This record gives sequence, structure tokens and C-alpha cells, in this order.
Amino acid sequence: MHPLTITFLILGVPALAALVYIYARGSSALRRYVTTRILLTLPMILILASVVFFVLRVLPGDPVTSSLGPKGSPEVKEQLRENLGLNDPILVQYVRFLGDIVTLDFGNAMTSGQRPIADELGERFPATIELIVPSAILALSIGLLFGTAAALRRKRASDYSMRLYSVVIYAMPVFWLGLIFQLIFGVRLGWLPTGGRIDAVIGSGLPRVTNILTIDSILAGDWQAFGSTMSHLVLPTLTLGLILSGVFLRLTRINVIEVSQEDYIAAARARGIKEFVVRYKHSLKNAMIPVITLIGLQVAILLGGAVLTETVFSWPGMGRYLVDRISSRDFTAVQSSVAMFAMFVALISLAVDILYSLLDPRVKY
Amino acid sequence: MIRKAQLIGVVAALALVAAACSPATTTSSSTTTAATTPTTQAPVATTTTEGTTPIEDKVLIIGTTDAISSLDGSDAYAVHDWELLKNIGEGLLVWEPGSGDKLKPGAAQDFGTFSDDGLSYTIKLKPGLVFGDGTPLTAQAYADQINERLLVLEGSGGVGPALGQPYVASVEALDDVTVKFNLTGTWGFFEQLLAGAPYIPLNPTQFPAGSSAALVEFPDAPIYGNGPFYIDSYVLGEQTVLKPNPNYQGDRVPHVGTVIIRYFGNPQAMAEAVQAGEIDVAWRILGPELLAQLEGSDLHVETISGGAIRYLILNHAAGFVTADPNVNKALASLIDRDDLSDRVFGGFVEPLYSPVPPGFLGATDVFDDVYGSPNVDAAKAFLAASGYTADNPLQLQVAYPPEHYGGTVADAMQVLKEQFEASGAIQVELVAQEWSTYIGAVIGGADYSVSLLGWFYDYPDPDNYISPFVSNGGLGTMITDPDTNAGINATAQEIVDLMAEAASSGDQTERAALYDEIQKLYADLVVTLPMWFEAEHVVYRDGVSGDAAFGSLDQLNIGGTIEFNYATVSVD
Repeated sequence: MHPLTITFLILGVPALAALVYIYARGSSALRRYVTTRILLTLPMILILASVVFFVLRVLPGDPVTSSLGPKGSPEVKEQLRENLGLNDPILVQYVRFLGDIVTLDFGNAMTSGQRPIADELGERFPATIELIVPSAILALSIGLLFGTAAALRRKRASDYSMRLYSVVIYAMPVFWLGLIFQLIFGVRLGWLPTGGRIDAVIGSGLPRVTNILTIDSILAGDWQAFGSTMSHLVLPTLTLGLILSGVFLRLTRINVIEVSQEDYIAAARARGIKEFVVRYKHSLKNAMIPVITLIGLQVAILLGGAVLTETVFSWPGMGRYLVDRISSRDFTAVQSSVAMFAMFVALISLAVDILYSLLDPRVKY
Repeated sequence: MIRKAQLIGVVAALALVAAACSPATTTSSSTTTAATTPTTQAPVATTTTEGTTPIEDKVLIIGTTDAISSLDGSDAYAVHDWELLKNIGEGLLVWEPGSGDKLKPGAAQDFGTFSDDGLSYTIKLKPGLVFGDGTPLTAQAYADQINERLLVLEGSGGVGPALGQPYVASVEALDDVTVKFNLTGTWGFFEQLLAGAPYIPLNPTQFPAGSSAALVEFPDAPIYGNGPFYIDSYVLGEQTVLKPNPNYQGDRVPHVGTVIIRYFGNPQAMAEAVQAGEIDVAWRILGPELLAQLEGSDLHVETISGGAIRYLILNHAAGFVTADPNVNKALASLIDRDDLSDRVFGGFVEPLYSPVPPGFLGATDVFDDVYGSPNVDAAKAFLAASGYTADNPLQLQVAYPPEHYGGTVADAMQVLKEQFEASGAIQVELVAQEWSTYIGAVIGGADYSVSLLGWFYDYPDPDNYISPFVSNGGLGTMITDPDTNAGINATAQEIVDLMAEAASSGDQTERAALYDEIQKLYADLVVTLPMWFEAEHVVYRDGVSGDAAFGSLDQLNIGGTIEFNYATVSVD
């Protein structure tokens, strides 16, 4: 099975399970909402991909001149343009592109050996997923834990320090924080690797199935490789996760404070419900609703942050790939990458909406 | 109820994930990147030990910021591609490891011979050569490769034929080991061309000739050539793993059992990795700040005089201010290369006073001789002769790509602006343009008066440092017609004629004299404005050493040809 397919399965299966549940057990209004939401996702991806398609062609520069540089003869360049279909009318190119998207084939790249883009994304996309999933978990964990703690210790020193942390960390450039971590924990202390996804020697013997190396090392039963991938994940995950934790912390704090002032919380206390239950069942659960909404919105920011993190840590994921291919004006690779990003963000947004509806029974569709 | 259903959903999801990732799918991995489980381990070329570790257990990890663009010798052009091709293959002639100018037979028994008229070159392969997978390397297979791949595959967009078609008409196999090149003319540098990657034998099982010939930029690993290593696996952007070729018959005997090339997204990350001991060697490309920082550590930082040059393209086409010879001579008089080298690069680059870098045949310091470095008074006189004064300054746009040649280029352009404006009669506007837009505009010759470019030779000969900037529009210098190659004036035409004469001469002394003359004309016309040439730097940790059998141990036997022969390096 292609690594890209496996990655989508891994990402898509939870959403699929939720969908199955909704269509089996949900209200008709909820089913209608989800159906509409799915149908709206398709034109969203189409519009985004189309905008990228046309913008790329309006920009100066083309993949042929960019990749051959000063050393290709005019004849070679013309032949390559012909082979890449760049001499076709733009509408013909557009229809071909739409066909590639629909079939999820994506066609071939225009530079770097014109490899099938599905193969390139199959290598790069899982690497990015491997980076952003633990980063998101870290960001969310810190945000929820410290945000709740700050709300419960409102106007005390720990509250002020956590609020200060959230502002400082959010304002910190990703590349700077990554560089500092590399220098301290990699170069100075030698505790953690400074970059890459796995130790070079260990990685050379690891069979790639999903291209998510933590999973591949588990599948191979190679615990040394697993340890290596985990150690390589620490610094990039910390970098990206900490940066994003600030916004979750602030949002959790303010929502917990607001919810704790609601009448139903006072009523719960008045009824003698234990404080732990009041705080973590009634307050936090309700405070979570806007935070979950934010998760969906932060996915796109997470992908943006991954571009910088991948560059700093030499992490061969979608971020580095996209930057390289934009520079070389590889039209098909950029279009396909953006479409992939759009599908991913749409998938997460859909999952968040579904989760939202499940968490908050007041939500009506 | 909802919680129960959620739980069921999560369990179902996890079960499906587990099923999707079951080991049964292991064999259906990605193909071209071929990060496959090594199924067969070829025996290492030698089983002796150096130190306490058996050679087959030694691993050399080399970091680079380069990337693989193509592994097909009929197409490859990038420095790192050539490096890999020369480590998994061996040309008929090769450069002596560690040397900058010493050719020697590689896969050939000896140097070949030119016919009396210089229009053919006959050379014999060593008998019994095979590729790493056992495929025989015969004269006929080699002739087919050159005839049916290198000389015809340009339709696929390959750029390798640029080093084939202009020079070779066809290749014949006279017997099992004898190859005869029928040349398109007499070429004084043909043996140097022959040592280039496009002429390295390719394994016909992976790079077929004949009717099925097509470019194979990323063949499935393992990739076997006739060189000291084969590529066991590679993952683009991540790493390439090389192992010793069991059938190698040359003198570059590996001293390690595995070489791993690790690819870095930026020089800073690579510098940190070598400091942290994650890689043994950092090779290409570290900027001056990082080099200075690494020099202060306990790492070895070695300099190798390289062939990469940086220069300004002056557009001589009518309508541009640089169509005026006085303007060009003023610019040539104003540039202070030592100042550029010191202030911007901390002395890590060398001033360049000719299009041909020092050490190459016939190289001179002609721009220093003619214009001084700098000579502001002379520049003012040139400008005044064209009416440019402090009251009527020349408005000059200087374009450059801010990222393509490294971040320090922007600093260099600022210093250059200062130097040009020191005349008091020039006002410079710097124009930064992203590479993919920039390069087309420079070569097209319709956008910029002055623009920065870099060049790295395809074959180490003065012809390759001058011809591209003269012939067919000269990459934007426009001193010749792009279609007819006719010079725009008498000097330009004289350069064109002398270049043809120098290229066709087999007498190196005569060629040196001709290039001396050409450089004078080149400087007079200021075809381009040479600025600096960049040495390469290799950084490595203690315990890494060069093979004493070759010439430049400290530089890990990387010579002036900038060829890193992994086989000539040992590691603890």
C-alpha cells in the first residue's frame, strides 16, 4: 500500500468512524449538517487549488528556466516545455490538473526528475504528520494544563507567570527557538540530535512502510530505531509545540474563568458537588468547546510553523518540499501540495466540527 | 450513551489503523526512493582492518546541503550528482584524487591517442571490466551508451548532451575493449571532457540504450556502476547509503564499509551536526560566518581552491547603459576585490582578476593589470568621457538573486554599491530578484544592465570559463548574436575567432598563448566583471583522515577538481 494512502487512512479512520456513528445514531439535523459540510469542502479545495494554479502561472519564471539555469540550450528548454505540457493552452493544463486532483494521481513533478508527485508526497507528507501531531498534542496539553491552573490561581504569581509565558512564547520566532534548542541540547549538552528524523546508520536499515518512522520502527520491531526516531522528534516537537501552546493557554484560562462564573457552576457548588467534579467536569468540559474550535483553526498555522521547523531541523517534510518547489516554479508539485494541505485542513476542520457537535448538545444545525 | 459510542468509534479507528499498518504491507514500500531493507550485502572490497575496527564495520557520515537532482549520467549536471556518479562509477580517464589538474587512466588501460587530423580519439578499456551487479562493461555497451543516450536524449530535457553533442559525432567499438570517438572537430580539451560524469560508463541494465533509452533520473536502488561504491539505498532529502562495490577493479579502494550522505536543509543545521558529532564530515556549503565559528572549535576546517566564480554580467546590447565601453571600464576600475573579500567574506574567498581562475591554463590577472584594483581617478575619467559627473550621475541598476548564492551575496552587493558610488558619478540601485524569475531575465538579455551570476566549470579548462559568456548571446552579455554567434563589434568577433582557434588546438602551449590574448581582449571589452572565486571548505572531526596514497591528506584528498572521493577517506 502506498505510504500516502496509509497516512490518509491513519488520519481519516477516526473521522470515518465518527461519520459512521453520526449517520447511524445522529439526529437528522446533524446528518444534514455533516453532509452539507462535506459537500462544501469539495468546492473549497477546488477554489484553493484553482487559485494556486492560476497564480503560479501569472508569476514570472517557469520551471524550465529555473531548473536548467544558465546551462540549458534554448532547444533543450523548448523541448522540455513541450514535454511538460507548458506549451498547451492554459485551459487544457487546468483541465489536466483537475483530472489529476480528482484521481488523486497528481501527475508528475516538473522538476527534479519529474517523479510521480504521489511518490514525493508519500515521502514528505508522513514526515510532516509525524512532526505536527505530537506538536499539537504538546501544545494542547500545555495549554489545557497550565491554562486551567492559571484560571484556578487567578491573580496569583503563578497566574501572572503563566500569562507572561504565553505571550513570550507565542511572540518567539520558531527558527530562533529551534536554533537555541539545537545549540543547548544538541551541541553544548549533546543530549539530543540537532536535526534529521533518525540516526543515519540506524535509518539506513529501517524498512519504510508508512514513512512515519515511529510507526515503521514499531512495525519492524526495531526498538533502537524507535528510540532514535523519538529522540529526533523531541527538539522539533518542543519548538513547534511550545510556540503554539501560548494561544491555547490563554484561551483555556479565559474560558475556564468565564465558565466558572456561570450560574450553573455556582448551582453545582451549592448542591454540594465535589469541587474536583465541578472544576474538571462542569467547568473544564464547557471551557473546552472554544478551545476545540481553535484546534481546527490552528492546524493551518501548525502547517505554516512546520515549514520553518522543518527547515531549522533538516526535517524532510512538506514544508521544505513546498519551499523548494515554489522556488523552482514546479507548478504541479506546488498545486498538488497545496491541494494536499487543503484536504488535510478540511479533514481536520470537519472532524472538529463533528466533535464540537458531539461535545455541545446545545449546538443545533 | 454518547461516551460509549465514542469509545466504540475510537476502538474501531485504532483497529483499522492497526490493520492498515500491518506488517503484511512491508513489501509495498515506495519505489524510487528505495529505502528498502538491504536484502543482499555485497562483500566489502577489503577485509583488512585499520585500527581496531574492521573496515566493513566502519561508517563514514558526510553532511551536505546539496541535493540529488538526477543520477542519470546522460542528464546530471549538479555538483552533488556528479560527485555521486564519480563514486559509483569510474570514467575512462579520471582526475587523480587530491589533484587539480592531473588526469590519469581510470577504466581505460592507458591514455588514448588522437588521429593525425585530430578528428578521432581511440582508447582501450581495461579487459574484463564488470559493473557491480556483474553486468559486463564492453566497448560495444559503452559505445551504445554514448551514441544512444548521451548524444540523443536531449528531447527529454537532459542537459548532459551539452557536453556531448557539440564535441562527439559518434562512438564506435572496434573490438571488445577498444573505443573510438569520432569528434565533431579538433578539441584541445577532449580528454578533460572524457573525465566528466556524462562519459562515465552506465550500467545498461538500469540505463538502457537503444529503442528503450530514456532518462532515468532516479533509478531504483541498488544502483551499480563500475566505481568503488554502489548506492545501496537513498531517500531524497534525507540520506544516501553507499557500500563498497565488490567488483571494483580500480585503485580507489574503500577504507570504510558504509558511506552515508546526510542532506541538510540549511548550513547552520549542518554546522551544528558536525559540532555535535552526528556527522563526520561537513562538505558543501558553509558560509563564512559558520566557517569562522567552526575554526574556533576542535574541528578541522580545510580550504580547497575551487572552481566556482562570481562575476557581474554586463549587458552590451544597445539601449543599456553598459553598451557604453566607458561605463564598463569605469566599473572595472572601481571594483575593489580585496575589500569585498575581507569585509564580506572574512577572507574566505579569493579576488578574481580574470574570467579564468588562477591555476587554470593560461590564467592571468588581466583586470588588475589593465584597470588596477581599484583606480577611482581612472574611473572618473572614463565616466566623464561619457558625460557622467557628480552633477549628472550615471543611474545604474545592479540585479542579484538574494538567496541563490547564499545570504552573504546581499552584503557583497551593498559593498559593491559603495565602491561604485565612490566615484561620485554613479548612483546604484540594487534590485533583488528571486532566482526563477531572475535567471530567465539575465539570460534573455532584455531586463538588466548589470547582474550577478555564478559559474562552476563543466570541464577544468579556460574554454569553459570564457566560451559561455561569449557564444550565442553569452548568457546575457550579448556580445554576440544569440542566433548567428556573430560579434557585436570587431573585438567581440576577434574573441569569438580566437576562442575557436584555442579550442581546436591540441598544443597546450599554443592554447595558453591564445587564452592570454583572449583575456586581454575580454578585459578591454569588459565582457563580464570577474569578482571573486570561491574556495570550497571541508570540515571534519578528529579521527577522519585522507588516504596517504593520494595527494592532499588534510583536505581529505579533495583536489582542485572539487571531487570528493569517498574511497580515499578513512575514519576511526
